[in-house]
Amino acid sequence: MIDAVRNTVLAILNKNNYGYLSPSDFNLYAQQAQLEIFEDYFYQYNTQLNLENARRSGTDYADISKGILEVIDLFSKTATLAQTAAADNTYTMPSDYYLINKVIYKGLEVERVNQSKITMLLNSMITAPSIDFPAYTTEGSIMTVYPATITGAADISSQYVRYPLTPKWTYNIALEAQGPVFNQSSSDYQDFELPLDNLNDLVNKICQYAGVEIREAAVVQFAQGQETQNNTQQ
Amino acid sequence: MAYISQYQYYENSGANPEDANWGSYQYVSLKDIVNNFMLMYQGNHSLVNNEERYKILFHAKRAVQELNYDAFKEIKALELTVNDAVRFILPSDYVNWVRISLFENGVLYPMTENIRLTSATAYLQDNNLNILFDEAGSVLKPEFSPIDIARIKGTKKSIYLNENSAYNGSEGYCCDGNWFFDFSIGARFGLNTETANANPTFRIDAKAGVINFDSTMSGKSVIVEYVSDGMEGGDNSLITVNKLFEEYVYSYIQYSILDSKLGVQEYVVNRAKKKKAALLRNAKIRISNIHPGRLLMNLRGQNKWIK
Repeated sequence: MIDAVRNTVLAILNKNNYGYLSPSDFNLYAQQAQLEIFEDYFYQYNTQLNLENARRSGTDYADISKGILEVIDLFSKTATLAQTAAADNTYTMPSDYYLINKVIYKGLEVERVNQSKITMLLNSMITAPSIDFPAYTTEGSIMTVYPATITGAADISSQYVRYPLTPKWTYNIALEAQGPVFNQSSSDYQDFELPLDNLNDLVNKICQYAGVEIREAAVVQFAQGQETQNNTQQ
Repeated sequence: MAYISQYQYYENSGANPEDANWGSYQYVSLKDIVNNFMLMYQGNHSLVNNEERYKILFHAKRAVQELNYDAFKEIKALELTVNDAVRFILPSDYVNWVRISLFENGVLYPMTENIRLTSATAYLQDNNLNILFDEAGSVLKPEFSPIDIARIKGTKKSIYLNENSAYNGSEGYCCDGNWFFDFSIGARFGLNTETANANPTFRIDAKAGVINFDSTMSGKSVIVEYVSDGMEGGDNSLITVNKLFEEYVYSYIQYSILDSKLGVQEYVVNRAKKKKAALLRNAKIRISNIHPGRLLMNLRGQNKWIK
């Protein structure tokens, strides 16, 4: 998909033969655009849920939230968390996580508790974290699991939503060609991870950034207009 | 929790103790209740949403506690021998008593509560009646107060009941099972009906965590029937609720959360409240086991001749 996006962007920019986007700039904008669209899915999901609660959403093919969930689940990942020190109840969170969905201890869900509540919770007679109802707090990249008797090296795993991988349009320089030639087999090649129906959104976003770079107001306005139209349709 | 096989039920799959699963099908575990509530009653399209699990757990446990106090018919019983201080230490999970009985010669004798004071804390005093303190400024206390000593030694007066005796209804001293009386001089007062029972009496000192008996009870066997709060010493895996009350516990949790949540319409709170009350009523009727057959057996007694 990344090559199709780049070709479309170049076609739009190059309307009067004075717009060109270098591969490195395109890769920067591609990463930025993908991240923006990825984050927007979570807000869209929330909007859809509110519509459902107001009975303003349909089922079957009209079930928009289902589709959004499917896209978010493309980035779902489950991993065992590394213990920070032996026999300690602290674990290191995944480096690529965007949102921790759940933490699991021996098949039981570990509940996230705010730092402002954990002290009171630990002092509570009937709701203190226990083996049956464990809890965790986070501090930086460290997760502390309660009760403190949970100290197994491979006890804690997490299902989380990771960040999308950074897209990279890789290329070769060919003498006969007038510019870089797309090379999909390069070791550092990375396509967009968003679904194909986000192609238009990616083109629009990248055009906005590129339009600012080449100081072409028409491109920016066109891209923004397209984006507004898409949002209205949704 | 998954269903268990017959082998697991009857023989605990060969493990000890063999009776671990007997009767377990009557109950639903706390873990299941919290899990089911989070799954079925909490979420984006439910009345309850964005609530922490520990809140659900708190209300679930509160529901279990409340049910243990009066709705469950699960009375615990503990038998112990009364010590030399004529005291019975309350069970570790004691919340309230139901009945206290003396077990003697294979017969249970229900005892009555003595509402009169039988025990007190005392402070040590000097000859000028000043209270004595230790180096830390704490007041010095004797092991037993004079009223406790009187109770333990049996030097405290009480009513003697024996229709065949001339001293029937007189105040006397019971010491090691033998009664002693003062000379009958002056006015005689009426019987204290609350303690007018041939069986020994007791008084519960809840703060001290003991049941105080009179001196005749030293070395006797006592059975305390009591209710607990069902918290099983803090072990969440052992906390269970009878299935007849399962739906009530869900509605209790739902009502408690809606009642304390900001912005919930009053009619929603009231609906939850009515549902909770109705489910408790239903569950109490169910667990009371009122069957036509049982009623019939009781009613047959109406034709019995009373001699």
